Parts: sequence; structure tokens; C-alpha cells
Amino acid sequence: MKTTILLLLCFLMLSCNNNQEPSEKSCCKSKTKEDLHKKISGESIYNLATIWTTQDNDSLQMKEFSGYIVISAMVFTHCESACPRIVADMQRIESKLTDKEMESVKFLLVSMDPERDTPARLREFATEHKLNDRWTLICSSQDATQEIANVLGVRIKKLEDGGFDHSNIIHVFDQGGIIIRQQNGFDAEQIEILQAIKSLTH
Amino acid sequence: MKVLLFILAWFIGTAGVCQNKSRLVPMVLIQGGIYLPLYSKNVQEIKVNSFFMDVYPVTNADYLAFITDNPDWSKTGVKSLFADSNYLNQWRSDFIFDPETANSPVVNISWFAAKKFCECQGKRLPETAEWELAARASETKGDAGKDPAFNQWVLNWVTKPNPVTLPSVGSTFKNFFGVYDLHGLVWEWTYDFNSALTTGESRGNSSLDNNLFCGGGSFASKDITNYASFMRYALRSSIKAKYCIANVGFRCVK
Repeated sequence: MKTTILLLLCFLMLSCNNNQEPSEKSCCKSKTKEDLHKKISGESIYNLATIWTTQDNDSLQMKEFSGYIVISAMVFTHCESACPRIVADMQRIESKLTDKEMESVKFLLVSMDPERDTPARLREFATEHKLNDRWTLICSSQDATQEIANVLGVRIKKLEDGGFDHSNIIHVFDQGGIIIRQQNGFDAEQIEILQAIKSLTH
Repeated sequence: MKVLLFILAWFIGTAGVCQNKSRLVPMVLIQGGIYLPLYSKNVQEIKVNSFFMDVYPVTNADYLAFITDNPDWSKTGVKSLFADSNYLNQWRSDFIFDPETANSPVVNISWFAAKKFCECQGKRLPETAEWELAARASETKGDAGKDPAFNQWVLNWVTKPNPVTLPSVGSTFKNFFGVYDLHGLVWEWTYDFNSALTTGESRGNSSLDNNLFCGGGSFASKDITNYASFMRYALRSSIKAKYCIANVGFRCVK
């Protein structure tokens, strides 16, 4: 019986199409990070209550990034042109960080394709693009995806071939989860984002 | 063991944390069909399944019931991530509005708030295609999209300034499906309101939906006689999910 329940619980965690919002008691991770809940600004992305699944099949809420500068973009793994370029741009940012900055920066890719992006698929994408453990790739339900897209101002239009037309934006969040910089389109230099990171780590 | 099961049941039961004691709004069946977005010059039909739609837009009184149960969504309780400073601007305070407007559609509502409200009713916001399918019905026809008199009536409303006090819901006409106020009262949020890409943000400019907009480009699109729907698309494309606007309300479907 216990096994059944455990299995059921695991199953709930596995799917990317889960539509749960957290109940206060359900989150085991928050205990060690209670200090994070202290004071969340009304504008912070940590106000999103949705639950996400990572490439390692862990469940995650945005507030778990508290204390880190987060460089983020919405992508989908079947995307052939724009998304690999965005990821490359983010990797270029990563390569220019100082050791000190490196400690306080995380990279986050949010899937806009809840139907096809499974945790396993995200894992493959991470391997393919040689993403290290500073990178988190997450997916969730259609509703959670639409909500975060609207919070970030990312427009997504589903196409007949299963792909998407979408905004290409790199977002920079400060340690409190507030967007401090958004970069539209592609930019080889990334100077402004790097400056933003610098100012947040000083 | 039982305790464990109970806890599990509790966990699942509370998964979608949401209080709801508000009144039941009547819904009617909207027969599914094919909807052709006005911006498609190539044949890009959207198949819409049958669904149920609220007969009326959500009113101030309905919304008060929701806020009473979910104070996180009151004027002062709402997170600025989810609504701009115009949120419920027409209300005097968290739980008080002009009693005469109790039955008027609630406006100055963000997409996030509208979505949450519908979720709490066990419903959802309509897809744009669903909304447009229901809204192309006149009093007598399920599809009056080609009816010049109907299009003109809708256009007349769209071009009129808003009244200072919004009339009560149900004050316009009842359409073929039994739905009131899709035209003639307020504009309404849709779930995918921002899914048309109109600036240089998509992969290639070839797929931009510029046909949506009036001006030279619009002549390439399917249905250039329905100016009011161009205006709806233009509005939807120009707003953001946290915007709260004085003539935009919503209703739910399921």
C-alpha cells in the first residue's frame, strides 16, 4: 500500500502536464530555504505558484532561485533556428563571467512546448548543447507555460507543424526575482547584460 | 495507513488552492465549428470543439464574491506582477463599489485575474477562436459574419465612446446561442489574446500576422468587411496580460 502511494506520488511528479499549485505542506525543499520566503516583492517572478519539472525530474518553483541572478529565456527543444541561437548567446554570456560572478549566476531555459518537452527531452537538449550544472531546464503544464510567458512578455503562437513563432528575449532577474533587463532579438556582444550582472554582484 | 491516504487525498484536494462560494452563472452550449481567422490569407482553418459559455460577462458582484474568498486578488492584495495600478480602478476600496454597478460587467481586470477567477469556478477563459465563433452569431443566425446589417451594428458600438457608467449585463441582445453582451457592452479577455505576432519578434518576417491590421496590408486577408474584428485583434495584440483597462471585462467557458 505504501509502495502504491509512493508510486502514485512519483507519478504525479513525473508528468510535465501537471496542473498543481503547491499546498503549503507539500514542498519538502522549502524547509531548508525558509529564509527565502521572508519578503517577496510584488513584482517578483517568485510570486508564480506553479510547479515545474527540471531536466533531472526534480520539481521546482521559481522562488527556489532566490538569492541568485538568473539569466533566462523561453525555448522549445524541437526548435531549429532561433532557440539554439539564444542558448548560444546565453553561453557567450556565461563564458565572459568572472569567477566571482559565476558563483551568483544561474541559467534557466523555460520550455514553451508542454506537449513535447519532457524532462528526458530537456536532458537530451542539455547534453547536446553541453550545458553544465549552472543550467536548469524546466517544463510544466500548458497553463503554467502561458502564465509565465505572459509574465515575461513573451508572445507565443503555435504553428501547424507543431513548432512556434515566438519572441526572442533574454531576461535578467536580480536576486529577488525582479526583471532588471530584457534583451530582444540577438546580440553578439551582450554588453548590457554583462554590465547588469556586474552591477548586481558589486 | 488510513491517515496516509487521508493526507494524500487532502494533498490532491487542495492542489489547486482556490476558494469559491460565488453564485452560479448560467451557461449555454456553443456548437463547435470551423473558424477562419480574419488574418489568414492562406486557408488556415481552426476547428473549434463545442463548449459551454457564460451567458453574461462577469459582474462586479460576481467579482466581489471571488475577492471575498480570495483576498490575494483584492485591490490592495494583488501582486504587481499580475495587475497594473488600474486594477479595479472603478471600485472605492477592496470590497466596496458603487451599488448601482453591482450588475455591471467588472472591468479594469488583468488577464491573470480573469484567468484565476475562471479557474476558481472550475472554468477557463475562452480561446480567441472560441470567443469569435460565439460572437459571430446575431440574434437569428449562428454565423452572421457575412450579414452587413449585423457587422454594421457591431461597428456602430465599437466606434461609440463608452458610457460613464456601464449598463448592467444582459442589456444588449441575446444571440443565436443564447449568449448576451458579446458585442455592445465591453471588450473581453481571451486566453490566447497575444498569440498573434505582429512585430519583428518571430523567426522570419514571412510569418508575421500583419494582415490583422487595417491599412494596405489588410486587403490581403480573408474578410475585409468585418472591421470590428480587426479592431478586436488590434486591441488584443497591443495589450499585455497585466494591463487593466476600463472597457475590458471577461467571461468564462468550459
